[in-house]
Amino acid sequence: MLEIKNLHVTVDGKEILKGIDLSIGAGEVHAIMGPNGSGKSTLSYVLAGRDGYEVTQGSILFKGEDLTAKNVEERAAAGIFLALQYPIEVPGVTTMTFLKTAVNAIRVARGEGELDAVRFLKLVREKAKPLNVTDEMLKRALNVGFSGGEKKRAEILQMALLDPALCVLDETDSGLDIDALKVVSDGVNMLRSPGRSMIVITHYQRLLDHIVPDRVHVLSGGRIVKSGDKELALELEKSGYADYAADAA
Amino acid sequence: MTMAARNIKTGIAERRLIEEAGAPGFSHAGWFDKARLAALDSFEAAGLPHRRLEDWRYTDLRQILEKRLTKTEETSGRSDAPAGLLDAVDAYVALIGAEGVEGDFSGLPEGAEIVPLGDVLDEGWVRDAMDASVFGDTDAPQAAAIIDLNTALLGGGVAIHIAHGVVLEKPIHLAFSGNGTRHLRSVIVLEEGASACVIESHQAGANAFSDFVSDIRLTRNASLTRIRIQNDDRSAIHLASDRIVLGEGAVLDGFLMTLGAAVSRNQSFVRFTGEGARATVNGVYALRGSQHGDHFCLTDHAVPGCESVTLYKGVLDDASTGIFQGRVLVRPDAQKTDGRQANHALLLSREATMNAKPELEIYADDVQCAHGSTVGELDRDAVFYLRSRGLDEASARQLLISAFLDEVFEAVTHEGVRDILRVIASEWFVQERSRHHE
Ligand SMILES: Nc1ncnc2c1ncn2[C@@H]1O[C@H](COP(=O)(O)OP(=O)(O)OP(=O)(O)O)[C@@H](O)[C@H]1O
Ligand SMILES: [Mg+2]
Repeated sequence: MLEIKNLHVTVDGKEILKGIDLSIGAGEVHAIMGPNGSGKSTLSYVLAGRDGYEVTQGSILFKGEDLTAKNVEERAAAGIFLALQYPIEVPGVTTMTFLKTAVNAIRVARGEGELDAVRFLKLVREKAKPLNVTDEMLKRALNVGFSGGEKKRAEILQMALLDPALCVLDETDSGLDIDALKVVSDGVNMLRSPGRSMIVITHYQRLLDHIVPDRVHVLSGGRIVKSGDKELALELEKSGYADYAADAA
Repeated sequence: MTMAARNIKTGIAERRLIEEAGAPGFSHAGWFDKARLAALDSFEAAGLPHRRLEDWRYTDLRQILEKRLTKTEETSGRSDAPAGLLDAVDAYVALIGAEGVEGDFSGLPEGAEIVPLGDVLDEGWVRDAMDASVFGDTDAPQAAAIIDLNTALLGGGVAIHIAHGVVLEKPIHLAFSGNGTRHLRSVIVLEEGASACVIESHQAGANAFSDFVSDIRLTRNASLTRIRIQNDDRSAIHLASDRIVLGEGAVLDGFLMTLGAAVSRNQSFVRFTGEGARATVNGVYALRGSQHGDHFCLTDHAVPGCESVTLYKGVLDDASTGIFQGRVLVRPDAQKTDGRQANHALLLSREATMNAKPELEIYADDVQCAHGSTVGELDRDAVFYLRSRGLDEASARQLLISAFLDEVFEAVTHEGVRDILRVIASEWFVQERSRHHE
């Protein structure tokens, strides 16, 4: 599904990712952990195609195609979905209008044709319910005045509606209370399927109790310094990143 | 005044305007001829306004009209969509040019009149409405003085009268089009308790110079929705001044949209003369290329207990220039005034410029007034966010710009018209879209 080789990325002339290798098979869930500032969000933005993140070396293949040749919306249509660490507030655009525009834009790009209003509404209701996203939230401007937890649930709703092949969840657990964590994790688990891969960025082992990963990687100083199975997360919880930070420095 | 003194101020642009105007499209020997001559004297003495006058510092009309004299063929451009879209509004349509007023008004209810202005100059209501003495001590004499040009060279116009208590269900659509130089006036009078919606659309051709004045009088408890869409050719010059007087309990719901013209200047002078009246004077401007759009708004709270809202929002692309000069004046007697004024602009390009000068002048103590002004850019993070959900860049920009403007559209009370205004605005983006894809 995703094949990253020797990826180097600079932001504003500063090298942030310094040779990442990562291979994710179809249906796999990989967790990425690592200290603050190690480049986790940077990696997620590079995958999404955000401006200002320059790939200076290496390659990213997604479903066998060069991802870096595609712009942001082409990547979205191809199946990349990034749930942001800090979802952006968009005043004046109601969540419902936004969801409809996004769903139809993606459907058209995938050659599926737009959904009519009735079918769209049915789809939203169906996906929103398990995430506790209320009609009242859908009527409000996108993310404006949403609590931290509401923003994260809205991100997962978008993910469910856009039917991605690779989900990148950047600290989707931060700011969630225990109940919301359960709701969000259940929502994510419902989306696990043999055709869909996930990258779960988190600081906490707790999330990985709910969303059990196939692999865990430690990103430090712009490199993956250790990889292992889900036990690695437990180890990190005990020992912290001290050993790895030293390696990277 | 001696001729020599006159000639010092009356320059080549002024003389050309006077020559171009020729004879008016109507004859009138009475009071108006005197007014015309007096206005001509004043105009000749003052000349066209220029940048050394504070109210005109961003729009040097004298220089602009001097340049026009030497201007050769311009490339023109305009979308015809607004005119076409407005045709969808079920309205009494009046086509207005220097030649007169055309339209079928047989369906108008009793008590509602749409007539050529030249035919009714002697009617009391017309004369009263054109009498500016109610604005005598206006706070913006430099801006108001340009109305002399219109009075001096008036070629025609339209007069609308809605009698006591008459409620007009269908809007009136005044469609202005034409070429060359035109000085036209609209007089709109709503008697006590009357209610109407008047849409004005402007579609002047290449290199046109249009000079409009609207004299609007809302008598006690009258209610007017007034929509003005200026979509002149992008080589035209457009000058418009509204003098609006609101009596006790009257309601004005005003909205204007500036899309066209190379240079446009819109002035609104709103004056409250009766308590408990409410005026909304809102606007949207969307400019590109080297378009220059100047909006000047003076709201004069001369009596207590009135409410005014002025909200302008604009998007400026390419090397366009937007100007907003607003003033809310609260006179000493005008206690319990609620006056709000704001301008918010979005710059879509680094070469675009916005000049905003909102001012409050308050001489009463028990009032609620606020003003504000912001200039910003499209939120790049938001554009990325929307694109990451599959919207192409043009759609993402359009959605964000529409969201920015929507607050002003939302305030238009006439539902059918509101929806069409939104579509007209989205037409502007269609043009943007095709350009961004080049
Ligand atoms: N525009 C920028 N210019 C310069 N440096 C930047 C820029 N954006 C990010 N960085 C730097 O890149 C590094 C990696 O940032 P990133 O946000 O990817 O870290 P992270 O691993 O997601 O951290 P956290 O756990 O705190 O979310 C940081 O040192 C950050 O300061
Ligand atoms: Mg981060």
